[in-house]
Amino acid sequence: MTIFIRLIIISTALFFFSFFYLYINDDKYYPGADFTISEMPNFKLKDLYSERLFNIKDLEGTYLINVWASWCITCRVEHNFLTKLDSKNIPIIGLNYKDEKKDAINWINRFGDPYKFIIHDYKGELALDLGVTGAPETFLLNDGKIIAHYRGEVNEMIWDDVFKPIIKKENLFNVN
Amino acid sequence: MLIKFFLISSIIFSNFTISESLYKFDSAEDEKRFYSLIKEIRCPKCTSGSLASSNAPVSEDIKSKIIELIKEGKSDQEIKEFLSDRFGNQVLYNPGLNKDTYFLWFAPVLFLILVLLTFFFRKKT
Repeated sequence: MTIFIRLIIISTALFFFSFFYLYINDDKYYPGADFTISEMPNFKLKDLYSERLFNIKDLEGTYLINVWASWCITCRVEHNFLTKLDSKNIPIIGLNYKDEKKDAINWINRFGDPYKFIIHDYKGELALDLGVTGAPETFLLNDGKIIAHYRGEVNEMIWDDVFKPIIKKENLFNVN
Repeated sequence: MLIKFFLISSIIFSNFTISESLYKFDSAEDEKRFYSLIKEIRCPKCTSGSLASSNAPVSEDIKSKIIELIKEGKSDQEIKEFLSDRFGNQVLYNPGLNKDTYFLWFAPVLFLILVLLTFFFRKKT
């Protein structure tokens, strides 16, 4: 019986030790990343520059959707990397989140436009349906399904560790 | 004198002008449901705080959405599902029983049983 009790005590301690050891050492673990597959919600929102209305049909194909705003400082940091992705022919759609039209356009004029087009979500309606909690956030959309969602700044490291593996697995964008 | 009277009365009555409810409900029942729901749902932007305790833009949006869903006649369970589908299970303070939470719910019971077993079957010295 004492052996049994000793065994339980030792194995419990070992279990917790190995659990936390593996958890802490997992350097590929990003708390902002979510790979739950979900349907892209439908929406009806205007273009940032015109009165043109967009809906889900304008998003057929494979895209990155980047949630940004002119008031968001991290978006400014992220912007250079998005420009780099654009130069590699990765199609990015902007979702301008809770922003004044004028501010958003000024921001794009000043820092450049890496987006194919920009959807103006002034009230954050589509953002709420997507589960956006703030800016920046980035979604990977493939054939009407969201296959990756990252909360926070996308940079070289996040691109390589979070987005590239799933892009390669699904064989999208011809990325090497 | 008149100015003093005006100032004092404006201070006294100012709270009446802003005390009007921020949210509009069809019935008192709906209002009760809303206030109990926002205490059970976590603000997704906060480290740990309910929607009721948060003024973050996303919390305000979620609160408006909850009112909209209540008005559409959705049940509390449907509203919680709507939010956990979008923001993940961590928005619910009371985690449901599913394959991810079995360990969470039953580990304490298992642990208690083990402790009791070792207590009853130990050798008396």
